[in-house]
Amino acid sequence: MGFLGKGLLEGMAVTARNFVGSYFDKERLVTVQYPEERVEVPENSRTFPFLVYDGTADKMRCVACKICETECPPQCIYIVMERDEKGKPLQRPKVFDIDISVCMQCQICVEVCPFEAIKMDNDYEKSQYGRFDELVEHLPDLLKSNEYYHKVKPSEATIVDAKLKADAEKKAKKAAPAAKPAAAAAPIPAAAPAARIVIPEDAPFNPEQRAWLSGFLSSLSPGVAPAAAAPQVASTAPATAPAEAPAGGWPWHDPGLGMAQRMDLAKTASFADKLMAAMAQTDCHACGYDCRGYADAIAGGAEADLSLCLPGEAETQRKLEELMKEAGKL
Amino acid sequence: MIQPLTEPAENRYTLTPGPEGLIETQTLEVSIGPQHPSTHGVFRMDCVLDGETVVQLKPVMGYLHRNHEQLAEKMAWLGSMPYTDRLDYFNSMTNNWAYALAVEKLAGIKVPERAEYIRVIVAELTRLLNHVCAIGFLLQDLGAWGTPLLYAFREREKILDLFEAVSGSRMMCNYMRFGGVRVDLDDKMLTAAKEITGRFPKFLDEFEKLLTNNEVLLARCQRVGILPKELAINASISGPMTRASGVEYDIRKVDKYGLYGRFDFRIPLGDVGDVYDRYYIRVLEMRESVKILQQALRDIPQGPHLAPEVKLRNFKVPTGDGYGRIEAPKGELGFYLVSDESGKQPYRYHVRPPSFINLTILEDMCLGHKVADVIIILGSVDIVLGEVDR
Repeated sequence: MGFLGKGLLEGMAVTARNFVGSYFDKERLVTVQYPEERVEVPENSRTFPFLVYDGTADKMRCVACKICETECPPQCIYIVMERDEKGKPLQRPKVFDIDISVCMQCQICVEVCPFEAIKMDNDYEKSQYGRFDELVEHLPDLLKSNEYYHKVKPSEATIVDAKLKADAEKKAKKAAPAAKPAAAAAPIPAAAPAARIVIPEDAPFNPEQRAWLSGFLSSLSPGVAPAAAAPQVASTAPATAPAEAPAGGWPWHDPGLGMAQRMDLAKTASFADKLMAAMAQTDCHACGYDCRGYADAIAGGAEADLSLCLPGEAETQRKLEELMKEAGKL
Repeated sequence: MIQPLTEPAENRYTLTPGPEGLIETQTLEVSIGPQHPSTHGVFRMDCVLDGETVVQLKPVMGYLHRNHEQLAEKMAWLGSMPYTDRLDYFNSMTNNWAYALAVEKLAGIKVPERAEYIRVIVAELTRLLNHVCAIGFLLQDLGAWGTPLLYAFREREKILDLFEAVSGSRMMCNYMRFGGVRVDLDDKMLTAAKEITGRFPKFLDEFEKLLTNNEVLLARCQRVGILPKELAINASISGPMTRASGVEYDIRKVDKYGLYGRFDFRIPLGDVGDVYDRYYIRVLEMRESVKILQQALRDIPQGPHLAPEVKLRNFKVPTGDGYGRIEAPKGELGFYLVSDESGKQPYRYHVRPPSFINLTILEDMCLGHKVADVIIILGSVDIVLGEVDR
């Protein structure tokens, strides 16, 4: 080991080298002078969630299915679905709050969202002067455009866009052949004018109202194949279109309809169809199936839990229990 | 000691001569912590001192209790994953792995090969950053203010930058999923990992030159806080602590979980079991970790990074119980899980934290040493209070 103090001197030499090096050696110049200088944030970096909209802020992708609210480990998300004056759900959130003092930035809400509606931001400068209301983000704070998403996460956003486009095309393709047989299956002359009355193009309705009306009116006119309304819905609200519906089937599969109307449409249908009609028809997969799959699973006995339909809330659960009781299965 | 005023006047302020004519002495009770920088968090040591010598020491834990286990029993399986990050917040990657391993054992999930390689890579990088920081903090406890710790942090930061690019967060990675990892490592990240691995031995050489032969370090650490081999085994100490005492026990070799059977590495062993051995064993383990990293980065195959059959939501686990354990940087980290009929959340969830169990023999190591040595003995155990209290 040599003389006493050799180790000390060697150590001093190391610190001296580092000290001198910290003036010119790039490897030892490690301090970043924040806030004058900033480290570039990697694309995967995450801080707090935001909601994506396409184009204008009212075209948000979120349908208020509440999957993220349920899955959020620290329970920092609070959602209330928007309803019209009749109490019919409008498939978008009225309240969407995230308490960022509770949020632990785990990204599980992003992973579970089937609509690519909630994404992680990488903005880390969120300091506020208060620690209560100031740290709760409401719907207007949370809504960011798809362009913003492209800016913060370019490659991820491109993949998501491609996926959404492919989904929409698939849905449109499925909806198109459904319309043709529907038209062909309505040869009764009386039905044709009835179908024409359903929704005049120049009627003063917004797309959601039109979609709802189409379903409602088609349920009132018995001769009309209800699927005639399907392409209309598909073209106005592609995200919630009943694309999977076969020709003439599942007229209740329209998220614009209320529970009473859906049950009315499914009056004569089979037991599984009735169960399906009790659901919220968003195909949000909150239960782990689409609406059809969940109904079939309950009817077939594979799924015993009737509380899984999150967008349907207590209404759906009550209806399902009622139907199961009627059928003597509960 | 000042006598209470109720004492008779003739007894007040008198010093009775002890044996051999010395003044009679008393033991002194000192509470170190919970807010004390050397306790690495909120941890308290009730010491009884005779002069400066420790005659009794009682560790007091629980100041950071967060109900982790009970919370996990109310939550879906995946929901606990981000909470495991917060156990030992230096090593979130290995915490994730231990939990994922336990669930995978319980549910019988097969992990793809590439995912296993990625897990080995991030776990060994975690070991590097944990050990380098453990040494930095130990030196901080010794009174070497700043320098070694900041050198350690400089290296750690490079690894954390990579973790942020990979998982999205520097420390709370939440990276593993049942049946693989969340994000694949792309070429850029692999290159960064290779660069870190390539440079690390050079840094270690410099770090060792600064510390290993330093006379002050030797004088303070050698023959201090000796942990005998038998006690280490009987108290079920694990990790670098037990290997410094000469017990050849490393779960990477014993269990060969993941792909550790494939890699060529050795287990460094100490022979005295003092603070210096525990310091040096960590340096040697880092060198072995670099070896594993080089092999893993060379051999990593192409393929999926996540088992495709695993559902993210409504993930259910068959009834039964399972124990998954890994060699975390601090020792054996295990998760014991029981699943009941519902299968949606654990019926029982128990963590076996290495820091907590390694801390139980603190008194045995400290008795007879000076109070200043208590601080470095605690530093050499390498605890994180998030894991001790859960």
